[in-house]
Amino acid sequence: MAAGTQKSSLIARRQYWGLVFVLPTVIFFIVFFLYPIISGIYYSLTDFTLLKPPVWVGLQNYQDLLKDRLFIKSISVTLGYVAGTTIPAWILSLFAAVVFFQKFRGREILKVLFFSPVLPSLIVVAIVWRILLQPGGILTTVLRPLTGSAEINWLDNPTLSPISMIIITNWTIIPFYMLIWLSGLTAIPEELRDAARVDGATRVQSFFRVELPLLRPTGVFIAAISTINAFQGFTLQYAISPGKGGPIDVNTTLGLLIWKYGFQYYRMGDASAVSMVLFAMIMIVVLIQLWLSRSDQFSLN
Amino acid sequence: MSNYAPTLNPPTGTQFQQTVAATRWRKRMTSLMWFSIALVLTVTFAFPLYFMVISSFKLDREVLSASTQLIPANFQGLTNYQRAFDVVPLARFFFNSALMAVIDVIVTVFFSALAGYGFAKYRFRGSRIMFLFILITMTVPFQILLVPLFIEVRSFGWDDSYAGLIIPGIMNAFGVFMMRQFAYNIPDELLDAARIDGASEFRIFWRIVFPLLAPASASLAIIIFLFSWNNFLWPLIIIKDQNLAPIQVGITAFTQTHSAEPQWGVAMAVSTLATLPVAVLFVFFQRYFIEGLLMSGIKG
Repeated sequence: MAAGTQKSSLIARRQYWGLVFVLPTVIFFIVFFLYPIISGIYYSLTDFTLLKPPVWVGLQNYQDLLKDRLFIKSISVTLGYVAGTTIPAWILSLFAAVVFFQKFRGREILKVLFFSPVLPSLIVVAIVWRILLQPGGILTTVLRPLTGSAEINWLDNPTLSPISMIIITNWTIIPFYMLIWLSGLTAIPEELRDAARVDGATRVQSFFRVELPLLRPTGVFIAAISTINAFQGFTLQYAISPGKGGPIDVNTTLGLLIWKYGFQYYRMGDASAVSMVLFAMIMIVVLIQLWLSRSDQFSLN
Repeated sequence: MSNYAPTLNPPTGTQFQQTVAATRWRKRMTSLMWFSIALVLTVTFAFPLYFMVISSFKLDREVLSASTQLIPANFQGLTNYQRAFDVVPLARFFFNSALMAVIDVIVTVFFSALAGYGFAKYRFRGSRIMFLFILITMTVPFQILLVPLFIEVRSFGWDDSYAGLIIPGIMNAFGVFMMRQFAYNIPDELLDAARIDGASEFRIFWRIVFPLLAPASASLAIIIFLFSWNNFLWPLIIIKDQNLAPIQVGITAFTQTHSAEPQWGVAMAVSTLATLPVAVLFVFFQRYFIEGLLMSGIKG
């Protein structure tokens, strides 16, 4: 009996090693996540410019945002960027995955090269595309048979500039999403395709009736991460559009607006309020994703 | 696949040979079609990086010329690369990036494995709530933290320093989550056997668990390296001193030049160098690279 209690207390004491093991990480996230997020909420309710201590103003910053034309514009810029970099990327990456799922000679080497846009940083991407998108540059030349114009202001034209951001972003993300689709396709057991074939389904039917429904968790996942990433659009708009988010702010996403208010004008209160709005928008996406994937047992784990 | 379809009248003789030949022909055409589509996709997507590399061997004015030279007409050798080191403190930028990425990788992998193992194999008060807390940090994008984190780090006196550059990003919730999944699969018997032999709990982690987590650690290390090396936003706001800037921030010197004659050849050389470490990792550790990317589900 005595030995039993001794043993169980030993096991109980041993369990506390778990606490020792997780503690450094937990403390790190308290200091560099919990504290900043709470102070961020607080700063969003203050007038704060770094030069003087924050002064409580209640919801004033949020009310000001509603009248702030740049903020309103920034919301529509962000939503446009989200629309342009999620739906096309979803469809095109699925198409590319289907292509690279087929059996043909040279597939592996082509796949590796196709994947190359994932490697460079967005800053490098921005520098390279700035050259490709020169008014009389390479993309203009390639599209000349279609457009008929020798000079296209991809970056300086207020209508074209957001489209250019969307083209570049799609270029960087499609290979990565292709890879996710591909791993989903590979996970589908071969017997299911064979069964559909035996039942007389054509390849196209088998794809839309058998494989695509099975890929639903993958599809929801890609839709969610592409939307969340798009809401955070910053680096391309910062580095490639003229005047950081221009021309006339057509590329000032919420992510860029946080940077402008916070680190160009040092209006930390306003920047924090914009952060909270962005946070709320992203949380809505996360909740929709959770709701959509509620029936997929796998995607939640 | 086609041999699954039952045939009522098995073809014989020449008829059979014709069928076989026709099937083979059709298969070859299908595979040629897929190859062609894949080729078009690959050329489209690989072209910008190909352009970057060849342009790094061109004269500045030739980089912009619309008549794309797929092979440089005046091959410049490594001239642009040499010039790059004269224009900006490039060696310093690379040193800063490497320092940040290596510290990030080592600390993240070690503490993620330790915490992941702690969450997977020990029952202690508060473990669930602490794990949930770490999970939640994953759903909050970095931009939300940008302003308050900057103010906090500044209040520590860490702005414009290696500490400010590196420490706030030194741990990763995704790493903890991933390591916990892998640590679950380690059999308890193995750990208990070591306990009976009198090994301490930390020794069990260091000598048994950590080596077993090596494949997961490799994927995590590569992903953290990729994120850290390509990270831009945090270094941009926390570093003002050019001598402390990592390459991704240092390189912006070339995006903002509005001088009469921007050195595009040099910019392409620097871009190529900045991409090289990630490309090398990808080529040599493709499997871990892709596994890590798939698990993380985010491209930094």
